[in-house]
Amino acid sequence: MKSLLATLVVTTALTFPGAAMARPVTLSTTLNNYGGDGAYLALYVTDTSGAYVGSLWMAGTKSKYYEHLTDWYRATGGDTGQINGITGASLGAGRTLEITLDLADTLFDAGYTLHIDAAVEDMRDSPNEVSVPLTTTGAGTPVKGRRYIASFTYDM
Amino acid sequence: MRKILILLATSSALTAAIGLPAWSALQAPTDANSQSFAAFFEDAAQTLPLILASNDDGHSFFKNSRRHHDHDDDDDHDDSDDDNDDCDGGCRGGAPNPAPAGTVAPPQNGLFGSGAAPKVQVN
Repeated sequence: MKSLLATLVVTTALTFPGAAMARPVTLSTTLNNYGGDGAYLALYVTDTSGAYVGSLWMAGTKSKYYEHLTDWYRATGGDTGQINGITGASLGAGRTLEITLDLADTLFDAGYTLHIDAAVEDMRDSPNEVSVPLTTTGAGTPVKGRRYIASFTYDM
Repeated sequence: MRKILILLATSSALTAAIGLPAWSALQAPTDANSQSFAAFFEDAAQTLPLILASNDDGHSFFKNSRRHHDHDDDDDHDDSDDDNDDCDGGCRGGAPNPAPAGTVAPPQNGLFGSGAAPKVQVN
């Protein structure tokens, strides 16, 4: 009995930090009714110096159009290895995309910034459509994009 | 007599000038090296430069693409047509399409706490 209890304590102690290091975060992006086809969106993170850290999501599956997500493309060289497993369909005008990701706690209140690049067929490319610091206090606060994004929020 | 000779020479020259290309066009070349008169005209036409009456120098998503993607009206992309018509095994001079969410774990870029697949919903 004693050994069982000890085992439980040890496993709990080992498991808890891992669970506490990440949390589910929902990223919600709503597009304007801009009157065009579906938008390609690249969601990615930069550090305090503005250097690219990694991607969180890519809306749009065809790599040949990624060059129109200009800032993301410049940072990554169009490397699709950056977005394997985090890519979905492009988003239609007026629609809302909700993505729930298991994100590291270290992303928040550490000077990281989330960016969204957007591009729409036969319309202007819009790099850095949204740029929002990742802070716990900023969660749930809607941010408006420059051209195509009506609102963006992240909730924890 | 001299006039007759001149007339004959002229008519022969005209016949040759008109008839030879027409006759040649009807004949299939017997080997790769032989070429008909009609082929000469075709070659000349093919070497003419293509002059565009106008160009679309806008800032559009596809038309100004540096990769010169052949785009037509059926090749739009909204959230319902993300088919795998190309680049699945790697584009010529470009990157392959990424693996869709749920098929592989998210990249290990330090942003994700675990390898859990993202949950996606479109409203």
